[in-house]
Amino acid sequence: MTSSLPGFLFAIPFFAAIVIPVVGFTNQKLCRPIALGALVFLSIVSVIGLSEAVSHGPLSHEFGGWAPPIGIEWVIDGLSGLLMVAISVVSLIALVHAGPLVEKELSGRVIPFYSLSLLLIAALGGMVLTGDLFNLFVFLEIGSLASYVLVGVAGGRSLLSAYRYLILGTIGASLYLLGVGYFYAETGTLNMADMAQRLPDVLNSRAVLTGLIFIVLGLSIKMGLFPLHGWLPDAYTYAPDSCTPLLASVVTKVPLYAFVRIAFWIFGMATVSTQIPILVVLGWVGAVAAIVGAYRAIWQENFKRMLAYSSVSSMGLIMLGFSLGTETGFAGGLFYVLADTLMKAALFGVAGAASYQYGASTVTDLARLRRNMPWVLAALVISALSMVGIPPTAGFFGKWHLVVGALEAENYFAVVAILVTSMLTALYFFRMFQRVWAEEPLPLVEPHVLETPFPIKMSLGVLTFGIIALGLGSDLVMGLIFESVIPKGF
Amino acid sequence: MIRPHDSVIVHTLARVFTPIIQLFALYVLIHGHDSPGGGFQAGTLFAASVILPILAFGIQDSQVVLERRAIIFGAIGILLYAGIGLLPLILGGEFLNYGKLPIPGMEASARRHWGILGIEIGVTMAVAATAVSIFYSLSERGEGE
Amino acid sequence: MADILLYRPHFVAFIILFLLGMYIMVVSLNLVKKLIGMYIMQTSIILFFITLAVKKGSTIPILLPSVTALTPEAYANPLPHVLMLTAIVVGVSTLGVSLAMVIALYREYNTLEEDQILEKMK
Repeated sequence: MTSSLPGFLFAIPFFAAIVIPVVGFTNQKLCRPIALGALVFLSIVSVIGLSEAVSHGPLSHEFGGWAPPIGIEWVIDGLSGLLMVAISVVSLIALVHAGPLVEKELSGRVIPFYSLSLLLIAALGGMVLTGDLFNLFVFLEIGSLASYVLVGVAGGRSLLSAYRYLILGTIGASLYLLGVGYFYAETGTLNMADMAQRLPDVLNSRAVLTGLIFIVLGLSIKMGLFPLHGWLPDAYTYAPDSCTPLLASVVTKVPLYAFVRIAFWIFGMATVSTQIPILVVLGWVGAVAAIVGAYRAIWQENFKRMLAYSSVSSMGLIMLGFSLGTETGFAGGLFYVLADTLMKAALFGVAGAASYQYGASTVTDLARLRRNMPWVLAALVISALSMVGIPPTAGFFGKWHLVVGALEAENYFAVVAILVTSMLTALYFFRMFQRVWAEEPLPLVEPHVLETPFPIKMSLGVLTFGIIALGLGSDLVMGLIFESVIPKGF
Repeated sequence: MIRPHDSVIVHTLARVFTPIIQLFALYVLIHGHDSPGGGFQAGTLFAASVILPILAFGIQDSQVVLERRAIIFGAIGILLYAGIGLLPLILGGEFLNYGKLPIPGMEASARRHWGILGIEIGVTMAVAATAVSIFYSLSERGEGE
Repeated sequence: MADILLYRPHFVAFIILFLLGMYIMVVSLNLVKKLIGMYIMQTSIILFFITLAVKKGSTIPILLPSVTALTPEAYANPLPHVLMLTAIVVGVSTLGVSLAMVIALYREYNTLEEDQILEKMK
């Protein structure tokens, strides 16, 4: 049914992103309240959108009054509504967390930070909600441009990482555009629902196969799937601490969502598993990504770099889950996406807090958290346990559903891959625990700030609570996924 | 630091051409309906008409103020676009559905005409301001990223 | 192979430009040359889309008041052109952002060669 909610979901952060420079030139203190207010409003509207979509069926919005397939259509259904809620809530928490950090490391660039973050969130929302393939490219590029600048906004070492991210990201987006061109040439439409109807006729042509390969390559670069993840470690390590929670938690998940839409809604699970067996290839790629990412994380001394390789490993696990070809595997992958968003935001938030208070950057430096940062240390412990997969955190339930899905699909290699990855993850996180607790104390250093600022404590607390709540309430979330997200007749 | 150009020919031609370029930019903007043109192209032409005298006469101290104003000009242009798009959304239609704009005394197709012209003006302002501010940040006077 | 060159020369042109752009981007060490390669690659994709819109003996897609019967074959497909307008703007904004980044890199390290920047970063 038609509704104006999707339009509002884009308009709110977009308007805030434009109003902030205009208002901020007169009074800089107003940037943060405008940004946070807009995100609170966005979260409320996205929750309303999700509940409407779950109870009444998908909400669609035609831009300009032109009906699809000629016009551009935006759809809130179970999957996009759920992801929109995740994006808006986690980015609100990340921006709350960034408050003290922005004052310290980005002074003089506060206005661009808030404006670009809101533009990034608006673009991510647009990508999630759109039902048109070219519109997805436009928002992909808007979000990517905002994130390139956010990575490099602090200057210094981050500039070269931002430049490399820009080059690789533009290659990825151009490959995606090329794939869309091949699809358009074969089917004559750009609307996702319409293309799903027209594709079965042209499925045997080489153009569709080439187009799909280009799209998968382009989106894999964007989401950081090994071996196309080259930009990720440098970008996450050298990006300013205020931007990394936002970048690491949601920005790579949205191209993954685009791939899921194209593979499962436009092509259909049966087509993508058997006729054009791209899921099989991606299953192997995901398994290798998970194991290699976790292995590389063991040898890193820099904490943020370790977390960056951990992100590569998580993306591999998620791709492995989606490529299993069963409903439980799909649901497990989606649940792990939600869990990973919370976990990565919390972990990078801890890294930012440690760097803010003690200038800590290596894993050994994290021992300083023991002195007078108990809340941050608690958040670190719980998110690390969740990444390893210890109940009752969300990470355990995510991996549990992934393993159950793999067993259902009788894919024993996937089970082995998931278990090996969990063991390697345990290795590097327990090595971190050893450095924090079991080694001799570091020489005393005065902290920059004596007490952890309240925004950091609150945001890390909410994220930790969310990880445990998502784990305890995993039944409800999985039920929601099975009911409303997975289409009938998968 | 961009120094003034030496040649008299460049000075005279810059002085003659700048208003002609701006007039042409206005023409391209308004005739975007019927002939090639529209917002983006007109915005680039406007930006060229601002950059040409800078290249000919050198960047002067007074123009540092213009850089700040350029960004606000661009933001107002985008707000114009998004505002014209948002107005139908609030009034019950869809985003960018110009047929539902509250302009009295016109039928839907004429409203779409004026709606498109409105957003093209917004796009022109935004593109011109963006190109000029990129130019300022590339010259040594500007505050780069 | 020969029929592709004879009947579809635009695809060959697109492939050559795309690979050329990508080669320049990957191989050159100068930051600005990489950007030139990136823009060539984006232009080749735009060229590819535009060539999808051509029909034999078609005219510009503007509906004149004197036309009574609508024949879609007589008009060129305007949709790829409109899509590519957007893609050109996206390419130009990417170029703007990347040039600003290159300027900032130059101000920081005083060189535009990537290997020298990596040396200075150590």
